[in-house]
Amino acid sequence: MGQKELKVAFLLALRSLQRGSRSSVILTVLIIGMCFTNMIFLPSLFNGIGQSITTQIVDYEVANVLVSPKSGDRYVTDLDATLDLINGMPGVERATPHYSKGATLKYRQRVLGVSVRAITPGDEKYVSPLYSKMIAGSYLGEADTGEVIIGKSVAGDATVREEDEFEPSLGGVRVGDSISIEYGNGFTREYRVKGIYFTGWSPVDNTVYTTWADMEEVEGKPLDQADYITVKAKPGYTEKFIKDELQQYGVSEKVQTTADLLSKSMGQALQTFAIINMVSLFVSIIITTVVLFIVITIKTLNSRKQIGILKAIGVDKEVIMHNYGFQVIILAILGIILGILITLALSVYMSYNPVVTPAWSATLYITPLDLLLNSVILFIAAIVAGYVPAYQVSREDIQTAMRS
Amino acid sequence: MIEIAGLRRIYRMGDVEVKALDGITLDIAKGEFLGIMGASGSGKTTLLHMLGLLDEPTSGHIIVEGTDITRLTDYEKTMFRLYKFGYVFQDYALVPDLTVMENVSLPAMLRKDRTEEQIQKDSDTVLEKIGLFERRDHLPRELSGGQQQRVSIARAIVNKPDILFADEPCANLDSENSRVVLELFREINEEMQQTIVMVSHEDWHKDYFHRIVRLRDGTVISDGYNGKEGKAG
Repeated sequence: MGQKELKVAFLLALRSLQRGSRSSVILTVLIIGMCFTNMIFLPSLFNGIGQSITTQIVDYEVANVLVSPKSGDRYVTDLDATLDLINGMPGVERATPHYSKGATLKYRQRVLGVSVRAITPGDEKYVSPLYSKMIAGSYLGEADTGEVIIGKSVAGDATVREEDEFEPSLGGVRVGDSISIEYGNGFTREYRVKGIYFTGWSPVDNTVYTTWADMEEVEGKPLDQADYITVKAKPGYTEKFIKDELQQYGVSEKVQTTADLLSKSMGQALQTFAIINMVSLFVSIIITTVVLFIVITIKTLNSRKQIGILKAIGVDKEVIMHNYGFQVIILAILGIILGILITLALSVYMSYNPVVTPAWSATLYITPLDLLLNSVILFIAAIVAGYVPAYQVSREDIQTAMRS
Repeated sequence: MIEIAGLRRIYRMGDVEVKALDGITLDIAKGEFLGIMGASGSGKTTLLHMLGLLDEPTSGHIIVEGTDITRLTDYEKTMFRLYKFGYVFQDYALVPDLTVMENVSLPAMLRKDRTEEQIQKDSDTVLEKIGLFERRDHLPRELSGGQQQRVSIARAIVNKPDILFADEPCANLDSENSRVVLELFREINEEMQQTIVMVSHEDWHKDYFHRIVRLRDGTVISDGYNGKEGKAG
């Protein structure tokens, strides 16, 4: 096949699409575009959900590296020394302890069981964006006592009746209100609500945060222990680096990176997402292949006589085959462009209107690699679907073709 | 120019053998305007298709300027049709999505010995010759049947073929348009010394032919120059 032959094949293809049935072209491009959107949408949404959960786990639960008690221990002990050691390591932005205790909250007639988490508010700012999620009042100060911040879900809404609530709450606590907290060890005290936050991450929004000093009051002793320590890495340092470093420096507690934890907690979910994505991808490819195969087969069947004539006047069968091949290529390119535009439009729409559940909120998570990979897969499928009937018809005997 | 020897074409329809051509032998000279005539089913279109490399004979030989074209490969046949032959079909057989100019240029565009300028010039020339230069940007569906057939002729001669084959080119035309087309063939034949082999069943067409070969049941029953038709053999 020389350049001239390819040029003629391209001309025939272009003219057929330009001057042939416009509705057929539009519908075919639309179908390919929709198939592309289908290929991208579901995996991107799942990726978005995964990304959202991962971000929230990193932001509010683990940071980059989690130091948790050794096997058989309940707490990370010798806390001050451990924190000093970790905070002094290169690459560590800040290490901050968390200590939680079960408690019962009372506000007017409402009673609610929650977990109260003690933090060091100043250090926590380096590790978690919680301080930036206040929707009312303000974040805890390092020296605060007798004050707590509570999640929106805990605070509740005064306009919603108790029986209509999605999840139990205190029924409309406002900043400045006093709530009674009764801890599991019997310690009870009134606390002023300093602020109300909303993160969108259900486990955090159902939590109450208090200062380390207040928790020491609850325990009745200085707290030199924690449930776990979250460690934030400085930019440019990997989680793996920090983990290895902690272990080398003799941190004897259990040290896990976010990836370690996610592979355990999210592994099953991600595997399920991957299966659904694969099924979605497979179905989309099958639909595109079948549609293009049918479109090109119908085109070739309707043009058999013309194909016979073209062969009769000296047009090589390769030119005829590539004519239909080019038509498929053009249709596939237009369909993929349309698909990319639809996908990007959906992405923009969903960034303003994310899928929100009580546990997480998600937008479409699309990378250029996703677009490129799916484009290539769809393009190859389209070419196979188009060239098979084109190859068959181009090999047909002139007489048979002309008589049809 | 063309030597045909013992040409047979037998079709099998189940257990029945149909002899479409039954031992045709004849020569066609360069510059001749040959009419192949005969009743429906006499084998005239089959003969034209054999000569034009559109079908394969069961036996026999067709030699065009020293080349036995029955022995060519599929690709060689395609190239032979492109470089040596021109075709006009009864239903015009234009590509509906191409303009008049594109239809006419199409065979020239595939030839390796034609430049863009040559293709343009040759296409312009033939379109002027058939009187449709002004309609070069129209699509076939915007033309009358007679005009479409003239475009088909322009496409057939744009490559200046050695032989022009016409398969009942006036079958779908009224007598006025038929006459225009036949006059065009005569003009091409006389001015360009173009060899033309044309199939027709209309008796009045014979006025345009130099020589008439009449077929019946796949055999030549008469072969002679216009007005002096003699018995075959």
